[in-house]
Amino acid sequence: MTSFRLAKGGLIDRATELSFRFDGKGFTGHPGDTLASALISNGVHLMGRSFKYHRPRGVISAGSSEPNALVELREGGRKEANTRATVVELYDGLVARSQNRWPSLDFDIGAINALASSMFVAGFYYKTFMWPKSFWEKIYEPLIRRAAGLGHASREPDPDKYEKSYAHCDLLVIGSGPTGLMAAVAAARGGARVILADEGAALGGSLLNENEEIGGVSGLTWAQGIIAELGSLPNVTLMPRTTVFGWYDGNIFGAVERVNDHVLEPSLYEPRQRYWRIIARRAVLAAGAEERPIAFGGNDVPGVMLASAMRTFANRYGAASGKSIAVFTNNDSGYRTARDMTAHGVRVEVIIDSRADAKADAGGVPVLRGRKIVNVKGGKGVAGVELDDHTHVPCDTLAMSGGWSPIVNLACHQGAKPRWDAAIAGFVPPDVGPAFTAAGSAAGKMLLSECLADGAAKGALDGKLPQVATCRDEAFAITPLWWVRESTGKAFVDYQNDVTPKDMPLAAREGYSDIELVKRYTTAGMATDQGKLGNVNAIAILAEATGKTIEQVSTTTFRPYYTPVSFGAFTGPFTGHHFQPVRKTPLHEWADEEGAVFVESGLWMRSSWFPREGEDWLAAATREVITARERVAICDVSTLGKIDVQGADAGAFLDRLYCNTFSTLAIGKARYGLMLREDGIVFDDGTTSRLAEDHYLMTTTTANAARVMSHMEFCHQALWPDLDVQYISVTEQWAQMAVAGPRSRATLQKIVDGIELDDATFPYLAAKELTVLGGIPARLFRISFSGEHAYELAVPADYGSMAARAIMQAGSEFGIAPYGVEALSIMRVEKGHVAGSELNGTTTAADLGLGKMMSAKKDYIGRMMAQREGLTDENRQCVVGILPVDKSDRLRAGSHLLKRNDPPSMANDQGYVTATAWSPALDRWVGLALLANGRRRHGEIVKIFDGLRNIHMYGEICEPMHYDRENLKLHA
Amino acid sequence: MPDRVSPLAGSAVQGRFGADKGAPGVKLSVRHPASIVAIIARQGKSQALKLTLDRMQGCAIQWAGADQYYAVADGLREGELYSELKSRLNVLAAVSDQSHGRVILRISGPNARNVLAKGTPVDLHPDEFPAGKSAVTQMAHVGVHLTRASEDAFELSVFRGFAENFWEWLTEQSEEFGYQVT
Repeated sequence: MTSFRLAKGGLIDRATELSFRFDGKGFTGHPGDTLASALISNGVHLMGRSFKYHRPRGVISAGSSEPNALVELREGGRKEANTRATVVELYDGLVARSQNRWPSLDFDIGAINALASSMFVAGFYYKTFMWPKSFWEKIYEPLIRRAAGLGHASREPDPDKYEKSYAHCDLLVIGSGPTGLMAAVAAARGGARVILADEGAALGGSLLNENEEIGGVSGLTWAQGIIAELGSLPNVTLMPRTTVFGWYDGNIFGAVERVNDHVLEPSLYEPRQRYWRIIARRAVLAAGAEERPIAFGGNDVPGVMLASAMRTFANRYGAASGKSIAVFTNNDSGYRTARDMTAHGVRVEVIIDSRADAKADAGGVPVLRGRKIVNVKGGKGVAGVELDDHTHVPCDTLAMSGGWSPIVNLACHQGAKPRWDAAIAGFVPPDVGPAFTAAGSAAGKMLLSECLADGAAKGALDGKLPQVATCRDEAFAITPLWWVRESTGKAFVDYQNDVTPKDMPLAAREGYSDIELVKRYTTAGMATDQGKLGNVNAIAILAEATGKTIEQVSTTTFRPYYTPVSFGAFTGPFTGHHFQPVRKTPLHEWADEEGAVFVESGLWMRSSWFPREGEDWLAAATREVITARERVAICDVSTLGKIDVQGADAGAFLDRLYCNTFSTLAIGKARYGLMLREDGIVFDDGTTSRLAEDHYLMTTTTANAARVMSHMEFCHQALWPDLDVQYISVTEQWAQMAVAGPRSRATLQKIVDGIELDDATFPYLAAKELTVLGGIPARLFRISFSGEHAYELAVPADYGSMAARAIMQAGSEFGIAPYGVEALSIMRVEKGHVAGSELNGTTTAADLGLGKMMSAKKDYIGRMMAQREGLTDENRQCVVGILPVDKSDRLRAGSHLLKRNDPPSMANDQGYVTATAWSPALDRWVGLALLANGRRRHGEIVKIFDGLRNIHMYGEICEPMHYDRENLKLHA
Repeated sequence: MPDRVSPLAGSAVQGRFGADKGAPGVKLSVRHPASIVAIIARQGKSQALKLTLDRMQGCAIQWAGADQYYAVADGLREGELYSELKSRLNVLAAVSDQSHGRVILRISGPNARNVLAKGTPVDLHPDEFPAGKSAVTQMAHVGVHLTRASEDAFELSVFRGFAENFWEWLTEQSEEFGYQVT
């Protein structure tokens, strides 16, 4: 293979050779190369196939705007589809594959689409897949899905790490070309905290690609001097390989740093990418400008590229795009390519300038003025060009320049539209205030001297302008040419979506003349490049077709992300078990020792059941229930929310929060409380104890702990700021365990210090501070969720597992066993206690059978709204007990209830089963349900319909409490 | 009295971990057993409380929100700091023992700030966040009370239940710099 590597020059390390594979074939390149430059230096221009017509395509640009050279990079879990070969830094062992072709890039069956191209016009999908309607799901959608997209994602997990981080600065400079460097150094010399970010592998921006002269030295040498100065300052952070992709509220910028994309595999401890949120007092957009193509016949043949890309490949990478070059331009900058390539010793045949009056310096290359290209000859490579005067120019590569578009994207991310500047034939950024200003060519300043001066001015936060070096300016003049109407071959405006100049007028004719609609109808400006190259041409062609000015047509909406960002970067380290934090109770270690099976409950890990040899969950939970009902059992209830409430007005505060009264609660006693929402629906329940005159301890359900706390904050701060009350979560301070069963008193008696746990000193609902196990501070409550004689004991968390072990030892003579939330749930259903499935955000206190708790003597949250007609309707669904008529039937939660002889339908629905349990004591399934007018229907036989399993059965409605209805065991 | 058991007793193992680039970039430790007491000003006592706390001896006072503070000390008996502050501050503030409810992690070393920046949006530049300053923030989805103890040392106080998970996150974020657990 012929080498297209120039003999000298370029920022590549020629002494080191890197091996890589493209489509299975081996090549070599050098450090400093991109995949694209390495392929070009190997004479490879064909790098991809276009989306719709599968036309052979090569590189168009040399940077992040590249629409064509999209590859699948790497293999297995590290595979990354739609990666632009122009920004992939070459490394040894790189593997890439071309996309959107089958069976091979060279021979692609999909190219047959091009023959039917008259069919694939704008709006093709909308017109073709309309009918018959029945074809949509089975035929059209799968067909479109297979054709859609370009590369294929890996189905394997990504083995690499990703990180997130925050950064703060006085000035964020986006882009490190001449403008950005001057802005950064101006701010940094004044002592400001500066971050200089650039998407490129090296800092320097256009100075890495162009021949410039600043301060009597080359632009590159000048840049290296400034970069070295910035690097030596402690107040400056240099961030190469970092794309600032979005501008957000509060002058926060999103950025992604490609920490290890340039190596085969990241080192063990380093991430592949890091997602940054940069909080900037001020920011300067110095992103430069993007060269535009021109739409003319065959402008997509591999070997046709932007003039700036061609000289970048030569100047920076030492790669010649061809051996015989033609240049097609409508502005002066195209001439730079002719001069640079000539200097590199590459033959430049001719400059074809669409301007009849062009005056730029051609450096000795012949110029055809007032001429246009109508077609490029060739299929997978350029064989020559045809001009509008029917002459033919032989060449093997073509450089084109349609002018320059300032990179305004970030400045428009909060909704402002850019402004058209006819002088430079480009959109310039809107004025979005002093916190974010554009500078240099991003602001439409097309001369190097203007860029240096503007950068210095925008970066000098303290107003002290640094001295700006003198430089050599290249002339800039342009006469717009958007497309060559006389084209004989197929011309493209948007390469990535195969949009042609005919599509915009067609869309307008069909009624889609607004630029936003044109975008959707033609797909111009969609996909990975988001129209970076083609949008301005598309806008201009639409303006022409609709008789409007470019200003009137304006642009589509600019949104993040400037370039594609991988999902890995957004996810950061929060994958797998880090998806959300795990919260463990202080008794976790003890429960683990006892063989607990844990269940996620919110963020908490709760012990669910404690299986013994051969037990499934139901067998274990059943045994645990029997142990609690007949002997003694212990359960971790630490997850219940605990809120310490203090202050002179603590009682008054609680009276307003709860529907029942707490100011009358005796010191040393606990009371069950019910909280309503403002709308009268039940919010939360729990036991609250009074530890001292001005000191209460509230408990909440596990699920609502945080919500109750915020509710209290709101009520105190917004409704009753005059109350002298202080509250704080103490959930995590205490390890709390329920000790339940006939032998609970005897068990606990062995560990409490100096107190007799009889009914006189420690009656039902007693709540006292004491010590256990020789001085450990503790709180003991005689409360019961199980219906048994029971206690809850709280000790400071660091003693939790130790105390639980001591209780196990104390109860061993009685046959103590641990029980989990499954057994807890069985016992609460047996006792008819309401829980989360009944306190479900739709039920009132009366629905739950707790209507009598609503005090008539005071005001409280929810009182007024609870009196609404709909909330007091006696036909509301309320909590009942339910038993299958056939004792062997298994009740299923979620089953719906119907009148005995009604068929299942929405209209006949009477309610549903909220909770079920296998009751060891009653030897049958029992349940709770919400049933219309249920309290008056005890004894009625209803139909139970389980639509999921298609099971019908009959059930008898009864009162919710199935077990020990006299509460004899509770008070035993 | 038995000894208190740290929730990180099994996780925070002493040693050198992560990348080996010479001296560890980060040092981590667990401040346990510590005494931590939350203090909340009573109605209308904000100023008086602040003045009293400014003169407080024997424990560090850390800001923890509007009219809220943490008092932190080491080497005291179970409940000692709580009882003492309760009697001394009763007129001015409600106090609550959080010694077991929170776990304090210490992070120091030249890369401590870089590790913390991976979690908190708080600007940790010494001009903005000098020694002695505290912030209530969130890191890795966990609420964190963050205090700068000195130029390059910080304390992170988290709910006990999250300690193990948070420790795991913190050590993973420290790996690239190499870290030492003491």
